[in-house]
Amino acid sequence: MNAPLKALDEMVRLTSPFPESVTVKEWKATGRKVIGWFNPYIPEEIIHAAGMLPFEVTGNNEPVEMQGAEAHIYANSCSKIRTCWQMQLDGKYNFLDGYVSSHMCDQDMRLLEVWSYYNKLPYMELIYAPRKRDEVGVQLYLKDLEVFRSRLSEYLICRIPDEHIANSIKVYNRGRELMHQLYELRKRDRPPVTGTEALEVSKAAARMPREQFNELMEQLLDEIQSTGREIKKARRLMVIGSDLHNANQMAALESLDAVVVIDEMDIGIRRAWGEVDTQLPPLEALARYYVLGRPVDKHNWNSDGRLEFIGEMAKQYKVDGILSEIVRFCTYDGWDKFDLKKQMEKRGIPILEIDLEYGHPAGAQVKIRAEAFMEMLESRVS
Amino acid sequence: MSTHTMLTIKDFQEGLKKGKEGVKKQPGLMRSTAGFFDMLSTYVDRIATAKDDGKLVATHGTQQPLEILEAMDVRGVFNEFWGGVGDMIRLESVPQALAVSASTGTPGEVCSFFRNMDGLMHAGKWPRSDMFLYATSCCDNVKAFHTLGRRYGIPSFGLERSYVPYTAHAIEHWKNEYKRLIAFLEEQTGKKMDYDRLKEVVALSYRLTELHLEIDKLVATVPCPLAPECYSGTLLAIRLLPGTQQAVDYLEDLRDELKERVAKGIGAIENERFRVMWTSFTPFFDPTLQSFMQKKYGAVSVCDMLSHWRGDAKWLLDPDDPLGNLAYRTLLAPGNCQYSSGVDVATNLSDKARRFKVDSAIFNNNWGCKTGAAYATVVKDELMRLSKVPSLIIHCDVLDHTFISRAEIEGQLDSFFEMTETSKAYKERRNLQ
Repeated sequence: MNAPLKALDEMVRLTSPFPESVTVKEWKATGRKVIGWFNPYIPEEIIHAAGMLPFEVTGNNEPVEMQGAEAHIYANSCSKIRTCWQMQLDGKYNFLDGYVSSHMCDQDMRLLEVWSYYNKLPYMELIYAPRKRDEVGVQLYLKDLEVFRSRLSEYLICRIPDEHIANSIKVYNRGRELMHQLYELRKRDRPPVTGTEALEVSKAAARMPREQFNELMEQLLDEIQSTGREIKKARRLMVIGSDLHNANQMAALESLDAVVVIDEMDIGIRRAWGEVDTQLPPLEALARYYVLGRPVDKHNWNSDGRLEFIGEMAKQYKVDGILSEIVRFCTYDGWDKFDLKKQMEKRGIPILEIDLEYGHPAGAQVKIRAEAFMEMLESRVS
Repeated sequence: MSTHTMLTIKDFQEGLKKGKEGVKKQPGLMRSTAGFFDMLSTYVDRIATAKDDGKLVATHGTQQPLEILEAMDVRGVFNEFWGGVGDMIRLESVPQALAVSASTGTPGEVCSFFRNMDGLMHAGKWPRSDMFLYATSCCDNVKAFHTLGRRYGIPSFGLERSYVPYTAHAIEHWKNEYKRLIAFLEEQTGKKMDYDRLKEVVALSYRLTELHLEIDKLVATVPCPLAPECYSGTLLAIRLLPGTQQAVDYLEDLRDELKERVAKGIGAIENERFRVMWTSFTPFFDPTLQSFMQKKYGAVSVCDMLSHWRGDAKWLLDPDDPLGNLAYRTLLAPGNCQYSSGVDVATNLSDKARRFKVDSAIFNNNWGCKTGAAYATVVKDELMRLSKVPSLIIHCDVLDHTFISRAEIEGQLDSFFEMTETSKAYKERRNLQ
């Protein structure tokens, strides 16, 4: 039995209760502002450079009943946006001074719109997220980042200077580097952390000041080094698809003598891959990183690279099988489904596809399917 | 899996021919109904004969500058049209195509315009296509074009557009994207763009816009002269055959007939009780619903969001700059309205409601449409705030008639029109107090 990681416990303590946590309360107590952001095309660095706390708007480990939200956003939309809207209606996000989202998907964009119409915050912004990973996309995105910086500066009544953004880039690059180190450690035959623990680390990264997170990450890596921590499970899994924020879902999976060693989620791997070029003008560097510098994601029209990346990661992390979870009504995941399965079959990697409601615990049906999948993986080995 | 009810292009050709013969035999229909079927037949025949004519075919989604395709002799197959008109020809085709799509693993939660295309392609019943073209719109489903292109080895090209399109930078960006599209088409066809021809095509397309606006003014008359059998004519001319003489001829005939009807005071029905605006799309999934509404409630369809031109629609700014004109047209063109925010859509619709003297609005919330699901209430509430027009939201599938029964819709319409008729706003609008 491995001892709990003290640094992770501290991250969880600081980011609890969710969402208006110890950290948020302390931050607000000093008169500083918190800006909510919704998807991975929002460069937190710009908010950070403005001296505000970037806070990822999500659900967490408890499922949310969404009936109230459905008065404004109908049930044929993804349960992540309905969850977040319900939390707003319940007053859980009252601490936000602003909210910024991108047009990464129709639903993200419309959540901002509903929020803006029914409960406008002092600062609200929408950024375009290019579908193509090319120079045209970079320039289009860069224009929106310039507008984002200008409008946030207006709200702050103080221009956010390049130097501040450059400094924030360094802070966030360090965070990515440390998270990447943790991913590297998970390649070990006996990884030092479970997928559930790694998920909690990723969540904390977007819920507390990045400097503080980086310090705790350094402690976490030292702790792993000094304790020789090892997770002994029979099967190695990869989780791909929609973002999970309910760590209990991951824990339920890992209760089946398996450990999640790698993921392909925006909340996971994309938060820990690559770095922003510190030699370029800061906004251009951010535009290049966010459009081109991370693994291809589901919203990119040409997702060939995404499917290849999943296959490559599965190989590097020696996974026995892949769990592809899709939050219902995710159009992007839906259109990758057919080819993803074909390509993984070609690579000889078993894949289990599960449709979920965001944040809701895996029900009995899902559990039965996951158990059957594990049995199948076991029979392959024997 | 059975595929026998799924439509082939030959079925489209025969169905449209039969449709035209059928309307000729029905008394009381507008004479432009035959022209409507002729126009659709022209569109389908051009696709069917493309190979023999030595032309390439591009399957495409919404927001395409079809004038560029026309000028390069590329014939378009608009996936949304194929589903909507398919429903007019044989309602049973779509459910079967959706079942085939589901059998490939495509989730049922994505838009059936695309699942229908997916199913027909899988069954080998989609028109032969040489390329796929698509664009950022308010629809994430356009990713399907790349996905299907990869699956079937068909080259594809996507036009990237910023979400906030109403800036000088955005228009310049679109112009550049159109240049990239032309380069792609030149590569596929092996031919160079003839810019003089493009100018001619653009001029014809602008003529269509002028006709559309003339027709709108006539349709706004009380009683509304436009009958349901011709309701979609204007939109389809604009969205399928822009820049063609056939579309211009059809709209001129339609305009002339509407002029005559207005002069004689002929309305779609005798007792016009409600003037209806469709705030998302007209009921493609139930092609006879508009006629039914007219008969049962005296509810006449007068306008809709999909055929809305923004502002004064004068997009031909410089006849010598066809790409610039097309970029600007994109900003104003029908089908682009919902690209914007719900508040902006409602503002546009509110203006439309005033011009068309609308009493009630119906928002079809398509099961597979994430935009509709998340902005319907904003549109509904804002429209009520701005113009006191109540909205009914029908939860449906854009193409699949089995998703919601006519009986269920009828029940909703019964209550909705009863409520509308007793409302203060309705009485004030009609001077009934």
